[in-house]
Amino acid sequence: MINKNKIKRNWKIFWLFSKFALKTTFQTRWGVAFFIGGKLMRFFFLLGFLFLVFSKTKSLYGYSFQEAAIFFMTFNLIDNAAQFLFREVYRFRPLITSGGFDLVLIKPYHPFLRILLGGVDYMDLLTLVLYLLITLYFAFQLPYLSFINLLLYLLLLTNGLIIATAFHVIVLALGILITSVDHTIMIYRDITSIGRFPLDIYREPIRFVFTFVFPIALMMNLPAQVLIGKFNWELVVVAIVFAFGLLGFSMLLWKKAVKHYQSWGG
Amino acid sequence: MNKYLTIFNVTIKEYFAYRLSFVLWRFRTLINLIVIFFFWFAVSAKYTNFAGYSQPALLSYILYASLISDFVIGTRLGDIAAEINNGNIINIILKPIGFFNYYFARDLADKFINIVFSFGEILIVAYIARISLSTPQNLILFVLFFLCGLMISYYMNLIIAFLGFWTTESWAPRFIFTILISLLSGNFFPLDMLPKTLYQIALLTPIPYLFFLPTKIILGRIDNYLILEAMMAFFWLLISRSIAHFIWKKGNKSFSFWGR
Repeated sequence: MINKNKIKRNWKIFWLFSKFALKTTFQTRWGVAFFIGGKLMRFFFLLGFLFLVFSKTKSLYGYSFQEAAIFFMTFNLIDNAAQFLFREVYRFRPLITSGGFDLVLIKPYHPFLRILLGGVDYMDLLTLVLYLLITLYFAFQLPYLSFINLLLYLLLLTNGLIIATAFHVIVLALGILITSVDHTIMIYRDITSIGRFPLDIYREPIRFVFTFVFPIALMMNLPAQVLIGKFNWELVVVAIVFAFGLLGFSMLLWKKAVKHYQSWGG
Repeated sequence: MNKYLTIFNVTIKEYFAYRLSFVLWRFRTLINLIVIFFFWFAVSAKYTNFAGYSQPALLSYILYASLISDFVIGTRLGDIAAEINNGNIINIILKPIGFFNYYFARDLADKFINIVFSFGEILIVAYIARISLSTPQNLILFVLFFLCGLMISYYMNLIIAFLGFWTTESWAPRFIFTILISLLSGNFFPLDMLPKTLYQIALLTPIPYLFFLPTKIILGRIDNYLILEAMMAFFWLLISRSIAHFIWKKGNKSFSFWGR
């Protein structure tokens, strides 16, 4: 049974951490400007890159420019939303190696409130709004957009975010289990970057690996395929089942990691 | 000379102390290469000539650019800003070694170990894709442009790192710098695919001289502006070197070396 008081209390703690995160962000104003500037530069460059490719060819494996742009924007939406919510994961390893994680574990709230959701990144919120508007711009240029497809797209975006959450929890668990690696989260980012383009363009075994081993196709590509109307229902069901399965696995791995945790350095 | 060789060896040993971390770093590089390589593989498959490139030429460009960029861009200079901020830099300055040479030796070790792995990776990708790589050409010219690119990259990285003398936020300009390099230096596509005016504007900046022009030259794609490009490469080398030395002197004077 859901405990309403517990939810209310967790929401309050989350809100408090988010307020602190906002104050921290604005302590480095130049950093904010450079960070947002850099992110926008990368985004517009890659969109320009797509435009450059389509100025030399009419279609990319059967996808028009608008359709390829939907894939690109869907990747950006999920990737950016995950960064907005889970920025604290990027700072987890120093917490482990310094022994600071002990201080998180002894607090009377779930550690995910601090190490997963405790550092909402407001700089990513700005870019997220921009990406959403540009996605809508491209979506409304599609000749066959329907309300059902749009609803299903939102559902699968959420599903993609659930898969992203599971990956972030796995990264946290690995942060405890393998302390010698300091860039696990960047490995996740690099692997997901393949979802910028439709996976159909890649040959086997790459396509297989990024559909079934690292489910980037289900996470990043499927929502875009739904929006442009090129999908099958079976895959939608598989994606939803897979997302919850992966989330369950990530929680089990986390519990195992916490059991193995040895306070050190603090 | 021996002391710099020792620094070189010690830096390589540092990598082997964190073997798993290094292997995963190379895995990341391989993923990035696969993403862009097979993207172009698919795009150029239907064309005998795509924006002036045949498929083998375009794919050879991507692989050669990856190999050369690993050497030119790979760096340990990002550590300097943190060393300035926490005061550790004084430990290096007080030693009887040249600061610039010390970091150059560390940088070379980083580049050396990266290129060894990078070479293996491009052979794997070329084998999977069953493509024959273009034979290297114009080797003397290539070495000249390559050395210029290498030194420009070294001095540009130093300039960014030295901002640590005045701010603890030098990560921010480095973030912009890394993005600029990763996007505009020719990792994603050969820059001469750009509309002509944009390409010419790009040639006025130091970024294409890092590894785009060396790659173009080794693939035998020399254009009519070679002398002008050589002059620009040399110009950017001199400018970046002068700025790096100037900022180093200014930084030393204004910095109080706190923390030690």
